[in-house]
Amino acid sequence: AKWHMPTPYGDGNLPTQIAYGFAEEIKDKTSGDLDITVHSAGSLVKHTEIPRAVKTGQVQMGEVFLGILGNEHPVFKHDNIPFLATSFEDAKKLWEAAKPQVEQQLDKSGMKLLYAVAWPAQSLYTKMPVNTLSDLAGAKMRAYSPSTSRLADLMGTTPTTIQVPDIPQAFSTGIIQAMITSPSTGVDSQAWDYVSYYTDVKAWIPKNVVVVNKRAFRRLDKNTQNAILEAAKHAEALGWEKVAERAASDKAKLIDNGMKVSDPSPELLNQLQAIGATMIEEWKAEAPKEVGEILTRYQN
Amino acid sequence: MKQIKEKLYLCSGLLAGLCIILITLLLLAQIVGRLFGFIVPSAEDFAGYALAASTFLGLAYTFKEGGHIRVTLLIQRFSPVSRKWQEGLILAFSLALMSYVSYACAYMVYESYLYDEVSYGYIPVPLWIPQTPVAIGVIALNLAILDAFITVLKGKTPNYSEHEDTLALEEI
Amino acid sequence: MDMLWISILLAFALLALLSLGVWVSFTLIAIGGLGLVLSENYQVDLLFATSSWGASTAWSLTALPLFIWMGEVLFRTRLSEDLFKGLSPWLSGVPGKLLHVNILSCGIFAAVSGSSAATAATIGRMTLPELRKQGYSERMAIGTLAGSGTLGLLIPPSIILIVYGVAAEVSIARLFIAGALPGLLLVSLFMGFTMMWGYLRKDELPKTSKQDTSWSARLKALRKLLPVVGLIGFVLGSIYGGITTPTEAAAIGVTGALVLAAATGSLSRNSFMKSLLGAVKSSCMIGFILVGAHFLTLAMGFLGIPKALALWIGGLSLSPMELILYLTLLFVVLGCFLDGISVVVLTVAVVLPMVEAANIDLLWFGIFIVLVVEMSQITPPVGFNLFVIQALTGKNILYVAKAALPFFLLIGVAIGLISLFPEIVTYLPATMSQK
Ligand code: NA
Ligand code: NA
Repeated sequence: AKWHMPTPYGDGNLPTQIAYGFAEEIKDKTSGDLDITVHSAGSLVKHTEIPRAVKTGQVQMGEVFLGILGNEHPVFKHDNIPFLATSFEDAKKLWEAAKPQVEQQLDKSGMKLLYAVAWPAQSLYTKMPVNTLSDLAGAKMRAYSPSTSRLADLMGTTPTTIQVPDIPQAFSTGIIQAMITSPSTGVDSQAWDYVSYYTDVKAWIPKNVVVVNKRAFRRLDKNTQNAILEAAKHAEALGWEKVAERAASDKAKLIDNGMKVSDPSPELLNQLQAIGATMIEEWKAEAPKEVGEILTRYQN
Repeated sequence: MKQIKEKLYLCSGLLAGLCIILITLLLLAQIVGRLFGFIVPSAEDFAGYALAASTFLGLAYTFKEGGHIRVTLLIQRFSPVSRKWQEGLILAFSLALMSYVSYACAYMVYESYLYDEVSYGYIPVPLWIPQTPVAIGVIALNLAILDAFITVLKGKTPNYSEHEDTLALEEI
Repeated sequence: MDMLWISILLAFALLALLSLGVWVSFTLIAIGGLGLVLSENYQVDLLFATSSWGASTAWSLTALPLFIWMGEVLFRTRLSEDLFKGLSPWLSGVPGKLLHVNILSCGIFAAVSGSSAATAATIGRMTLPELRKQGYSERMAIGTLAGSGTLGLLIPPSIILIVYGVAAEVSIARLFIAGALPGLLLVSLFMGFTMMWGYLRKDELPKTSKQDTSWSARLKALRKLLPVVGLIGFVLGSIYGGITTPTEAAAIGVTGALVLAAATGSLSRNSFMKSLLGAVKSSCMIGFILVGAHFLTLAMGFLGIPKALALWIGGLSLSPMELILYLTLLFVVLGCFLDGISVVVLTVAVVLPMVEAANIDLLWFGIFIVLVVEMSQITPPVGFNLFVIQALTGKNILYVAKAALPFFLLIGVAIGLISLFPEIVTYLPATMSQK
C-alpha cells in the first residue's frame, strides 16, 4: 500500500529527519509492501489541519505538535506546563506518566499514538540581560496561547501576540523584547540578527507526536502492524538520544554567532519555580482527575 | 421574484463586505491593544474566520456581477447558437461541480459539530460556527448558478455576461 | 496510470475547461478533484473541505482584501488624479512620460504590501483609469502595471520570502534586506524599457500641450503628492516604528485612506458602499481562485508530479549555472499552472538539497526564487496579476499576458544579472553581519 504522512516542520528539524527514517524502516521491514511518503513542512496538509486529516482518514498518518491539541483536552497540556519537567530525564518520565491518558484521548478521536520526539528545552530570548525578573518588568513578551500568556503575566511582562513569521521584524522594531522558544527555532530563524541575550531557563520540553488513523491501522495484516510498532519504538528511542545532541549543538551555534548565552541566576530560577508551581496548580484545576493521575505518576 | 433575487444577491455582497470591515476592526483592535498592553484573544483566528466568511459569502454576488474571471477569447468567436449551447453546458457542469462542493462544505460543518472540533488558539472556538458561513456561501453560489442556468434555458443572456463584457473601469 | 500520462491528461483538461469559458476558480477545483481521483484518492470531499478551510483562513492573506479595499477607496477620491498632476511636470520630459507613474507607485507601494496581487490591484485601480483618460497606449499601461505589480513580492515585506525563509531556514530579516537592491534593479530595468519604448513609439503617447517644467512648477506640483506620500509614509512609519506588523499595516492603510477620503470630501454613504462592494468583488474572486489553487496543490502533493520533475533535474548532475537554468525552466513551467507560493512549497524539499550540494548560497537562491515566482504571476493560464488586471480592465487574459510579455522577459534579464553578479543580492545582507 501507498500511505501519506504529512509533517509540520522542515527537513532540517530533528522530528522530520526521524520521520524519514521511520518511513524507511517500515518500507524495509515490509519489503516495500507499505510505502509511506513523508510530506514535510506542511506541504501536503497545513499543521493545524493535520489532526483532522488523520482523524477522518484523509491521510493515514501524520505528525503534530502536541501543544496545539491543548484545547481538546487538558491532558495534552502536560507538554507545555512551565518548570514541571526541565531536563530530558524528567521530560521522559513525564511522558511515560502522561502517555496512557494521551493514548486514551487520541483513541477517542480515532487515532493511535505511535511515537513522540522531544524538542530542546524552551528558553528565554531577550533584548536585555536578565538576572532577576525585575529586569523584565514592563517588557513585552511574545505569547501564543493561554498558557504562554499566563506565564508572561506571572513574569511581570505584557503578553503580546505575534505570529511566527513576524517575529524577526517584531524584535527589530521593538514590538516585543522577549520570547520563550527552543534553541532550534532560534537557530532556524537566525535569532542573532534581532535579539542578543539567551538565558537557558529550560522552561519546558515540548514534543511532536506521530499518530496513525485507527481504522487504517486495523486494516493492515499483523506483520505490517508489528513492523510499524517496532519502527515507532526505534524512532522514539532515537529521538530521545538525538535531542540532547541537538540541544547542545544549537546552543553552540547561538554562541558562535555572538549571542550572549548564560545560565539563569539562582534567584531567577527560584522566581521561575514559584511561577511553575502556580501554573501546575491551575492546570490541575482544569481536570483534577486526569491531570491528578498524571502528576501522581510523575512525582512518584 | 426578480426583486427578491436581487435583494439576495446584494445581501451576499453586503455580508461579505461586513466581514471585510470586521477584519479591519480586529486588526485595529490588536494594534491598539498592543499600545495599551492588553491582548485581543484569538484575534488572528477571528480575522481568518472573517476572511473565509467574506470569500465564501460573497461568491453569489461576485458570480452574478461577473466578477469571477474566465477566458472568453475562444467562446467570443462562437456563433450565437453555439454560444448558447456552450453557456448551458458549462453552467450545467458548474452546477454539478458546486453541488458537490456544497455537499463537501456542509459535511465539514456537520463533522466539526459531531466531533466537537475546537480551534487551537487562545479561545477554543467550536469550529462548526465559523465554518457555517462557508457552507452557506457555496449553497448561495449554487442558487446563483441555477438562476443563470434557467435564464439560459429560457433563451436569455445570463446577468454575469452582461457585466463581464463591460469594462470595470467605466463604472462610476 | 503513468505519471507522464496523468500530467498530460490534467494539463489538457485544464486548458479545455478554461477555453470553454469555465470560470478559473471552478476549473482549478475540478482539476484538483480529477487529480485526486487519478492518484487513487477517493476522499475528494473531505480533502476539499480541509484544504479550502486551511487556505481561506490563512492569517497572511487577511491583508489582501484590506489593500484591495484601500485601492477602491483611493480610486474614488481626487488622490489618483493628484498623483498624476503632481508627477507630470517631473515626468513629461522623460520618454514614456506618465507610464512611469505605474512603475514608481508600484515600487513604493510594494514597501507597504507583501503580495503582488494586492499591489497590482491597489495601484491599478488608481492609475489605469487616469492613463486611459489621458490617451496612453492601453497595452503599455497594462504591461507596466502587470510587470511592476510583481515588485510587491520582491521589495520587503513579502509573503513569499517569509514562506521561503521558514522552509529553507534562512533569516527572514536578511532575505528582506537582500530583496532591496534586486527590487531597484527591476525598477530600473522596467523604467529603462519604458523609456526606450516611449522614444521609439512617440506616436502612441498622448500629445500633451507644452507642460510647464520649470522648477517652481515642479515644486508646486509636489504639493499635490502630499496626501499620498503622507498615507504611505504613515503606513511605513507604523511598521518600522514598531506599532504594527506588516499584516496589520493593511488595516492602518484602509483607515488612513478612509480618513483622507473623508477629509477631501469624497466619502459619502454611496461611495463607501461602492468601494466596499468593489472590494468584495475582487477579493472574493481572488480568494476563491486561491481556494482552487490550494486544492490543485494538494492533488499535486499526492500525485508527486512537481517533486518527480525536481528529482529528475537532480539526477542530471548539472553544473551550478546549468542547474539554475534548468530550475528557472522548471519553475516557469510549473508557474504556468500553479500559483507561485504553491510552486515553492511543493518543490522546496527536493530542490534545496540540490542547491546546497551545488554550493549555491541559500540567501541568493531565495531572491532567485522570488524573481521566478514573479514571472509566474504574469504567465497564463494561471497568473494572479493577470487575473487582477483582467478584473480591472475587462481585457482578455491572453491580451493582458501579451502586454506583460516584455516585462516577463525583463525579469528573466534580472535573473541573468543576479546570476552573473551575485553581489547584487548578497552585498547588503553581508554588511549586516559585520555589526
Ligand atoms: Na512588498
Ligand atoms: Na502563471
